Amino acid sequence: MGSGQIEKRAALGEELAKVRFGKLYREQARAILGYALRRTETREDASDVVAETFLVAWRRLDEVPLGRGERLWLYAVARRVTANIRRAEGRRTRLSERLAEMLPAELSVQPQSDGKASDVLRAMAGLGDEERELLLLVTWDELSPSEAAKVLGLTQIAARSRLHRARRRLRALLEEQESAGRRSPRPHTEEAR
Amino acid sequence: MNTRELEVSLAAGDPVRQDLLDQVDLMGLEAELLAELDGEQPAPLPLPARVPRRARRLALATGIAILAAVTAVALLAGSTSHRASRAYGAELVRFAESTPLLLLEGPGWRVEDLNQYKGREGTQGFMDFVTGKPVPDESVRVTTGGNGAIGEVRTLPAAVRQRQVELSWHTDDPDLSATVPHPVRLPVLDTTALVNTHAGRIIFTSNAGRQVVEPGKPGDRQMSATWTEDGYRLELRADVPDLAAFAERLSWLAKVDSETWLDAMPAKVVKAADHEEAVREMLRGIPLPGNFKPARIPDEGLATDRSQLAGQVTATVSCLWFRQWGEARRSGDRGAQLEAERAMASAPRWPAVRQMEGGLTETLLKLVKSMPSGVWQFGPHRYRLLPKAEGLGCARLGIPLLPRKIERQREHGVPLPPQ
Repeated sequence: MGSGQIEKRAALGEELAKVRFGKLYREQARAILGYALRRTETREDASDVVAETFLVAWRRLDEVPLGRGERLWLYAVARRVTANIRRAEGRRTRLSERLAEMLPAELSVQPQSDGKASDVLRAMAGLGDEERELLLLVTWDELSPSEAAKVLGLTQIAARSRLHRARRRLRALLEEQESAGRRSPRPHTEEAR
Repeated sequence: MNTRELEVSLAAGDPVRQDLLDQVDLMGLEAELLAELDGEQPAPLPLPARVPRRARRLALATGIAILAAVTAVALLAGSTSHRASRAYGAELVRFAESTPLLLLEGPGWRVEDLNQYKGREGTQGFMDFVTGKPVPDESVRVTTGGNGAIGEVRTLPAAVRQRQVELSWHTDDPDLSATVPHPVRLPVLDTTALVNTHAGRIIFTSNAGRQVVEPGKPGDRQMSATWTEDGYRLELRADVPDLAAFAERLSWLAKVDSETWLDAMPAKVVKAADHEEAVREMLRGIPLPGNFKPARIPDEGLATDRSQLAGQVTATVSCLWFRQWGEARRSGDRGAQLEAERAMASAPRWPAVRQMEGGLTETLLKLVKSMPSGVWQFGPHRYRLLPKAEGLGCARLGIPLLPRKIERQREHGVPLPPQ
């Protein structure tokens, strides 16, 4: 293959990458934004997660699986990015700034729940990180247990077993919480902030 | 609070307003994103040869995920356990036969709990066996270190944990070798199990994905055995003092007939033969939409406890009415909208609603009150009602309410509710 041909193929490869990447963004950005909003405290942080996740996807586009797997792959990246955002000042990019500006303030309200849901969310804090994330992936992000397993890098068996235990443990935590509440009733319960 | 109520409450705590998320103009940002990437090299993407056909996902096609926690079983109210007097209904026998029909026949051991879930990826079930007093759910104290590391402290002493064995099964077919890295092989039933003698528990996963497993200590190990049989992938997991004790527990497993299996179940639920009657009774006086059929109510042939069954009946009927209500509002069919509102307004008097326990009732009644305005008021915030009603688990029942969910299920081949 001559050098002209090599260049041509390289250019074509980059063009192909842009097409694939554009499609990936159009199809998955909303899901990733939802994921990020559910796990960060501010719109700015959520926007950073979206921007950073797609930047990683661009750099590693050859690793992104096709089909349904691409969303799971992006969730796994977003999970790591979110953890880093929590630890460090987010890297503000043009995209994340623009995105944060256009997100309405009421898009994410924490906590948005009635009394029972607030109790469950409080009890969730007592779960391990992985169990909590499993439950959230299945309940909020509507993944199946085996899809959640892929996001967390677990085997299907382990994910199912842990999900079962997480539900059981959450129930136990709720009961503990309720009995503690009965022992010392809270003077005032705020329904929403 | 049962599994369904737990999930409904958790779903209600979702902080994101899906209706507003759907409106965010993300496409307009694509140019910003591409500009951002200028100067960033993409990973070299191979030029296409032939794109392999991806196996079509069966996913939702065979029936929507119904995460019906199934606490099985038994019996004639007030009767005590003895086999000769048992005449199990055909549904209950079918339910029993949908499990691997295994019991742990160790001296003094009994079934403490049973859960079976039917989801879009097949059936999975869990049985707990115990000896001696019931083993409480282990609560775990979570500790957070200064560096953000999370640790867990187990609260039950080893002697208590070792009185319990968990058997789980499911019907899909993952790769056995992928789950047990350095197995010991032990006989189980008519086959061989791969045993992980350091199954432990993951106590911490770092941000980099590194997992720290609690190794246990001599005299206190968690072990797991996996094997396949009769189309099931099975796992037995137990805290044991040593491998010999684990091998002994494995040797106690026995395949039994459905009657023996049913005899061994804890007597805490409804006789399956009564399931249809229980549903009929719960539906009495409920205005039903034209497309309602009793078969829509998730029925594993199991008898759930009454509260759980009441929740399934209520959710199924309510989702059908909310579906009609949503479609009527979109199409401007005022008559159909009012019919749904009137029907749901009677919900507080439904026998099924009166038999429900937990947070679902509270949520449902608030939904009903909000129907005329179409707005779910929460503190100072106003939300569209339909996404909130979806939290009843309508999509899981195969009756999604939101157009995007209807579309998604249609794409996956889930049949629409009959018109």
